[in-house]
Amino acid sequence: MSVKKLGLKQRYAHMTRGLDWETTYQPMDKVFPYDSFEGIKIKDWSAWEDPFRLTMDSYWKFQAEKERKLYAVIDAFAQNNGQTGITDGRYANVLKLFLTGISPEEYQAHRGFAFAGRHLRGVGPRVAAQMQSLDELRHIQTQIHTISHYNKYFDGIGEFPHMHDRVWYLSVPKSFFDDARSAGPFEFMIAIGFAFEYVLTNLLFVPFMSGAAYNGDMSTVTFGFSAQSDESRHMTLGIEVIKFLLEQHPDNLPIVQKWVDKWFWRGHRVLGLVAMMMDYMLPKPVMSWKEAWQIYYTEAGGALFQDLARYGLRPPKYADIATAEAEHISHQNWAIFYQYTHAAAFHTWAPDAKHMDWLSEKYPNTFDKYYRPRWEMWNQMAKEGKRFYNMALPQLCQCCQIPMGYTEPGDPTTICFRSSQYKGETYHFCSDGCKDIFDAEPEKFVQSWLPVHQIFQGNCGGATIPDVLNYYRLANGADNMDYVGSPDEKLWNEWQADKLKTAV
Amino acid sequence: MTVHKLTIEPLDEAIDVAEGQTILDACLRAGVYLPHACGHGLCGTCKTQVLDGEFDFGEASPFALMDFEREEGVVLACTATLKSDVTIEADVEEDPDARKIPVRDYVGKVVAVDDLTHDVKGVRLALDDGPIDFQAGQYINLFLPGVDGSRAFSIANPPSDAAHVELQIRRVPGGAGTGYIHDTLKVGDTLSFAGPQGRFLVRKSRGGPLLFLAGGTGVSSPRSMVLDLLAEGYGEPITLIHGVRTKADLYGHEEFEALAARHPNFRYVPALSSEPEDSDWAGARGFVHDVAKGLFGGVFEGATAYLCGPPPMIEACIATLMQGRLFEKHIFTERFFTAKDCAEKPKSPVFRRL
Repeated sequence: MSVKKLGLKQRYAHMTRGLDWETTYQPMDKVFPYDSFEGIKIKDWSAWEDPFRLTMDSYWKFQAEKERKLYAVIDAFAQNNGQTGITDGRYANVLKLFLTGISPEEYQAHRGFAFAGRHLRGVGPRVAAQMQSLDELRHIQTQIHTISHYNKYFDGIGEFPHMHDRVWYLSVPKSFFDDARSAGPFEFMIAIGFAFEYVLTNLLFVPFMSGAAYNGDMSTVTFGFSAQSDESRHMTLGIEVIKFLLEQHPDNLPIVQKWVDKWFWRGHRVLGLVAMMMDYMLPKPVMSWKEAWQIYYTEAGGALFQDLARYGLRPPKYADIATAEAEHISHQNWAIFYQYTHAAAFHTWAPDAKHMDWLSEKYPNTFDKYYRPRWEMWNQMAKEGKRFYNMALPQLCQCCQIPMGYTEPGDPTTICFRSSQYKGETYHFCSDGCKDIFDAEPEKFVQSWLPVHQIFQGNCGGATIPDVLNYYRLANGADNMDYVGSPDEKLWNEWQADKLKTAV
Repeated sequence: MTVHKLTIEPLDEAIDVAEGQTILDACLRAGVYLPHACGHGLCGTCKTQVLDGEFDFGEASPFALMDFEREEGVVLACTATLKSDVTIEADVEEDPDARKIPVRDYVGKVVAVDDLTHDVKGVRLALDDGPIDFQAGQYINLFLPGVDGSRAFSIANPPSDAAHVELQIRRVPGGAGTGYIHDTLKVGDTLSFAGPQGRFLVRKSRGGPLLFLAGGTGVSSPRSMVLDLLAEGYGEPITLIHGVRTKADLYGHEEFEALAARHPNFRYVPALSSEPEDSDWAGARGFVHDVAKGLFGGVFEGATAYLCGPPPMIEACIATLMQGRLFEKHIFTERFFTAKDCAEKPKSPVFRRL
């Protein structure tokens, strides 16, 4: 008699759940000490629906082939001097922002999923978290390899791990992941697995990868394809996590809601860096941040939260504010970097007339009215030899750690300030969203390592700008300041001159 | 246009696929859910094993579909197209309650056209050429003279009455198909149809209490299902809530009340949503989901629910059931996939069937 072939699901179950066991030398509660303090109640771990059917043995096989294909492209890019084929030398600054601001967070995600993969009691989510942990490790490695080629020619990339722990704006993504990693395993899964990898990931990866495609950076595009096949697994895991928590116990709903509210807002703040990249940094822009927000948050997120409403979950608090901010955030962020260009590890520039026309077209409600006059003024000042630098250290938001440059909802000419009192101290915030997060967990956020405070406290190498840049390992005159006049620009112009010579 | 046959294991179901149509598109349109995400060959969620036949991989990304998988005949359903008849093994679960009944063409003679209400006709067809095999809850595609295409209607009689097909048809204002039935159709006419279709059927193997939530003529499938269950002696509690607007829209209640009197495990609750406040109606008032919530104290855990009716009613019922701790695995709805459903609004991957 022939034995009936097992279905995919059954085969997968044998290779995952079939390998799990109940501990006997030690009680399970001691083996999994972190899965109850957050208040999440799981009645039945076996009700977890494995969202994909990938066993560890085939995982290695898949990832090995992806690596082979990616490195073949990276090698070809290097051998053909692909760096000379990008649209403009300015584009390298997009990669600097990615490698310094995003890549270290891949590593943080690797560590976080390793923690979740160790401490979730159910074997299904444990296997999935383990794979994602390895994916994230692969992602940072391939990102470093992809971008390392540019490090041979362009400034600002070489010290990225050192900078990550020190530089003022890099503390924004760093504190986001520090917050998630110092939470319990369930909050981590909602923060990174659901809010970041599902709700917001398309606003992070698509802009960088399509930006690369539009600007002739084929090695980064190939990295994007290589990562995307992992990302879909991550997104599926994020969806399964939130469904599982909401279905397991009614008491989980208010906890999950609080996390969705928190991590949506924190993610939105981090993505402000992507917004300015899309609107100001790409020599050949793909689409505006506002358009991307409309497609990936308003439409796709709208469908998502409409479905999740069946569980009683609301859309994230302040999603309406975030949508209204899509008209402003890129302009306000790039203006901050322009003013503090002397302390940034990538180059800045003011948009030229042609680019400002593009911004006017993309932001008919706001650009001409609020932002064009400032750029025109700064361009005029630069022409007169009075390029504007802001030499005062900015006040930072205690939660998102971004300089307090954002404006009041509905009033783009007034800076938004919020504050809370805690144990006799006053803490400052850029928004109601950030204030709410602090107020819910003040003991956590009073410990924030705020770069400006640290400078004032004398912990960053000294009191002068060169002292602080030295502490950052930021090469003054090479890594920082405007693109025009930088060593990057000089090199790029030489390449262009060589091309002309060759053509003749 | 060339059409190939796609056989889907382990369902052992065969569907038609047009030249150039992707496997995923064909499956979704035929009501077979395959896991998928990006829809254009980049993510690899819809990986499917081809067991037999000629195919084209389409634009599958080399990072989503590996070379060693291609050699083993793995495709991405969202990009792969057929070059011959093909058999695939898909990541679908076998349904122990679904019987495999081939769809056939039938001709029925109209033996009764009754006014069930002011705008609902009951049509009874006699199958003189032999009985139809179907499962309670399934539907047929009815062809009407002078009307383009076919119209789908649920079978209201139980499978034990296999020599007949009974349909309950509300007049859709301005509708050609239902207009024909209401204005022209008469006893003695013959109509052709194809069936049985659909996977809306009772998962008897699960056991446990059953909850039927019906709106308007959506009660036709639940009628077939309830009659079938009671006839074979299903012993667990069965509740049918039938929502209509006013007393004038209610039909079939004498029969259901008689059944409830005979079967202590069957509860029948007609609910009126727009009945005038001062009428003599002593039964439940309000929408189906609200009446269900009141009846069950808002807790549905442990039951299996079957929903049939207009989309807003189904949506409201799903939310009520879920907030009463009954989730997708235990909720079945009558839903037709059309090209419009697949293409238009962005859909989230939270739910597979609902």
